[in-house]
Amino acid sequence: MKFSRRDFLKMGGGVGVAMALGGGFVQWTHWPESDSSNAPGIEKWIPTICGQCTGGCGTLVRVIDGWAVNIAGNPLHPLNRGTLCPKGIAGLQALYDPDRLRSPLKRIGNRGEGHFEPISWKEALHQVSKVLIELREKGETHQLVVLGGRYRGLMRSLWERFLKAFGSPNYIDNQFRWEDPPLEGLLLTQGIYDLPAYDIEKAQYILSFGSGILESFWSPVQMLRGYGHFRRGRPGLRGRFVQIESRLSSTGIKADEWVPIQPGTEGVLALGIAHMILKEGLYHKAFIAEQAFGFENWKDSEGREHLGFKEFILSEYEPAVVSKQTGVPIDQIIRLAREFSSNLPSLAIGYRDRPFHQMAVSVLNGLVGSIDVPGGLLIPRSVPYRPFPSFSEDTIAQRGNSQRPLFGRNEGVGSPSYLFAKNVISGKPYKPKVLFLYYTNPLFSNPNPEYFFKAFQEIPLIISFSPYLDDSTKFSDLVLPDHTPFERWQDDPVFLSNGFPALGIRQPVVSPLYQTKATGDFLLEIVRELGGQIQKALPWNEFKEVMIYCLRGVFEAKRGDIFGLQFDEAWTRLLQRGGWSVPTYQTFEEFLNLLYEKGGWWDPVYDFGERSRVFRTPSNKFEFYAQGSQKTLFPVGKIKDSNVLPHAEDLKQGETDQPYPFTLHVFRTISLTGGRNANQPWLQSMVGQHLFERWRTWVEINPETAKKMSISDGDWVWVESRRGRIKAIARHYKGTLPNVVNIPFGQGHRGGGRWSKGIGENPYHLIDDHLDPVTGFPVQGTTKVKIYKA
Amino acid sequence: MMHKWGMVIDLDRCSGCQACMAACHAENNIAIVGPEEAAKGRTIHWIELLPYIEGEFPHIKARLLPRPCMHCEHPACIKVCPVGATYANEEGIVGIIHSRCIGCRYCTTACPYTVRSFNWYEPRWPKEMKGSLNRDVSVRKKGVVEKCSFCHHRLLRAREKARAENRELLPDDYIPACVQACPSQAMYFGDLNDPFSKVSELSRERRAFKLLEDLGTEPKVIYLSEGM
Repeated sequence: MKFSRRDFLKMGGGVGVAMALGGGFVQWTHWPESDSSNAPGIEKWIPTICGQCTGGCGTLVRVIDGWAVNIAGNPLHPLNRGTLCPKGIAGLQALYDPDRLRSPLKRIGNRGEGHFEPISWKEALHQVSKVLIELREKGETHQLVVLGGRYRGLMRSLWERFLKAFGSPNYIDNQFRWEDPPLEGLLLTQGIYDLPAYDIEKAQYILSFGSGILESFWSPVQMLRGYGHFRRGRPGLRGRFVQIESRLSSTGIKADEWVPIQPGTEGVLALGIAHMILKEGLYHKAFIAEQAFGFENWKDSEGREHLGFKEFILSEYEPAVVSKQTGVPIDQIIRLAREFSSNLPSLAIGYRDRPFHQMAVSVLNGLVGSIDVPGGLLIPRSVPYRPFPSFSEDTIAQRGNSQRPLFGRNEGVGSPSYLFAKNVISGKPYKPKVLFLYYTNPLFSNPNPEYFFKAFQEIPLIISFSPYLDDSTKFSDLVLPDHTPFERWQDDPVFLSNGFPALGIRQPVVSPLYQTKATGDFLLEIVRELGGQIQKALPWNEFKEVMIYCLRGVFEAKRGDIFGLQFDEAWTRLLQRGGWSVPTYQTFEEFLNLLYEKGGWWDPVYDFGERSRVFRTPSNKFEFYAQGSQKTLFPVGKIKDSNVLPHAEDLKQGETDQPYPFTLHVFRTISLTGGRNANQPWLQSMVGQHLFERWRTWVEINPETAKKMSISDGDWVWVESRRGRIKAIARHYKGTLPNVVNIPFGQGHRGGGRWSKGIGENPYHLIDDHLDPVTGFPVQGTTKVKIYKA
Repeated sequence: MMHKWGMVIDLDRCSGCQACMAACHAENNIAIVGPEEAAKGRTIHWIELLPYIEGEFPHIKARLLPRPCMHCEHPACIKVCPVGATYANEEGIVGIIHSRCIGCRYCTTACPYTVRSFNWYEPRWPKEMKGSLNRDVSVRKKGVVEKCSFCHHRLLRAREKARAENRELLPDDYIPACVQACPSQAMYFGDLNDPFSKVSELSRERRAFKLLEDLGTEPKVIYLSEGM
């Protein structure tokens, strides 16, 4: 395709008109004039929510002649205030990916070969409802499974309500990611199984235990904004930041200090630091006295003595012991403990390591009292949606719902998806008949995807709703492509790093490019086909109606306001504290219009000291001894005290060291954080900027180690584990431990289009199927590999 | 007084996220360079995050530095251009007249900051994408050199707008795409001739330095160093 200057002039011919009419470049600090007409060459900036990751940033999309031509941050959205990360900007290439799916597809030929023929939406609806009606008639409703990935808001509620009305207990959540904050740690210490907020803007000292806060955080832009403020936003105060990680990531590069550590032992170092804080008496005595449980030895209601945190840690985790396991020198452990406890407010942030390593990081925040205080770990309130009306299930649904769920785990802790796959393979308690894939791509983005390959082969009908022919969609029988986030309505309830709840509204900025359909709308069409009690439970015609139904709760909450410029924030807060609520809207219609026009709603207040919200543990306190875990994690048998106190977990190291001398560390760079972004050339051209790596997969080796093995910088090598091998470019990188090799995640798609398929390799194919017994997810940093020249 | 546009990059705020690079690509219709060409080092970035890694494991000091065109007061690129394709305007912005460029690449060699890229290929976009190009910036042809323009087209638009509204150009009217996108607010842009502008103030800070200052190029991009 040639692109001449003449073409370009033709295309841009309208620009002169736009300038003459004053529709020029928008001042980013000002709200652009809204222009309802869509005359040729006139630009509009339409607010929506980015869909490139789970971050939830507000964007403004510049639309000219029906084309989206640029994406900027929405200056009113408090999460990103007019800024974006590289993924957000590259969203344009996700929308205009030339290899997007253009209509519903039906598989022809064998599964996984990727041969499909287009069908109409009418035909698609007919096929899906026929299958579902059949399940209902045969009383097999529980054999419908929805595997859902990383998205937020009412779509999740809609799926769950649909399944309940239909009669299946099988919504399988596939969101688990190593890079997420320590959720299990928060569950064990505070009884909350949801993301916390880290108030980094007000923190003085951040100790990151392998958390890629500047690369792979679940909401990167608010972390990046917070980081800028943490460093230079407070005159006279510059926050100090220490990164503990096996690899020198770009987060590590930006840190004041990088502490190299053996992979998977970050939590053990946290225990060593806790030991020193206890030993030197540097902990926050008031917090421990008033808001903590299990710090000292204690007696339960039956009079039994229990070991407390202090005695346990003091006896078990001497710096010498910790140093040996982690490779971190003793004096450094002592110094970090002193720095962490004397630069308050300080924050410890970990990753989703093994649960009691996560807990070890979480208790550090408790030790210094950084819970529910400015600059500490905060528990945000949720967005006050109106709940769905109650409904009654019919007898078929009741029978289906009473079946054992396929993930079998109680309380929903950890990742149910691997247990689901395991049960599908074994066929116990039963095999699913129909699988819906929504916003998830397990054949690519789950460690050890073969696990899911095997499971998928056992399922007779797989239906994917992805807008792209990703690896899992390629393996499906029916593809019903969703709109991209630029073409549909969706709510996005989120919170800011200072704990304020915010609600972004995603709205269509361009008309759908192809014959795609919003999955929410399609689901409601199916509901109408099924009729009966199911339709009574979901009486809406399209997803937007669902959204508006629930938004009424936000309108009626008498809190918060539509997004405004920053000075509004203080004003709203002042009014609300005084018991006033004077939002900029009076009627619900006004509220909705303002929501769409400004991009969302927020409640710029954080209520400190609401114990019942912050500590949902049995003791209603911060638990150094995880009482709550007894029910959730160890449902059977008697437990030892040391099992529910933070402790070092078995690392399975040294097992097969001989043939596989290196530990594999899989990391994410900011460009390809999600599994969703490889189809965007802008991101591909900056994947590994620290080594100028682009468009391929590389393996980082310590230069000394590589020299000993006669592997030069830039050689092709095989990286082999017990599970398989991949070919990659060897790169000498000084930020690598001598016994570890690092491979980035994000490349190596087997499906996808011209810019992702067959480019690079997916290191997840090397990961061992060693699952953590509590989270049910593979353990990061236990896979061993060897390397040799290709 | 004439404006003298300049940029300040605070490396202590910079998180190395590369939003500036992506924003620049989108704003300036930078050609898509695929995997084969990229392997030959032919990618084009008007602003690029450069790594500096010093020391030996485990005592490493690494830095990440976003590098746009420095828009030097004494640019080496202009002196070597045999056809007058590179010029500096009266406000100090160094530009390229692409239709004059003969592709000799003297300038890419002369530039001490290696900010210039050569178009080895005819730029190609799939037809599904063509309408999403920025209509304010021309597309470069094969065989010409290109580089950062401080988003000069944004200045032109801002001037038009100010004139239409019968007012002076305000400091916020004109900022390049990279500065607008930067999430950690590490980048500042403005008039270095105005002693009270943010960039002037910052350029007088103790932490301020310029790249390869001893060459006498006098860059108008000023960095603020990391640390205290």
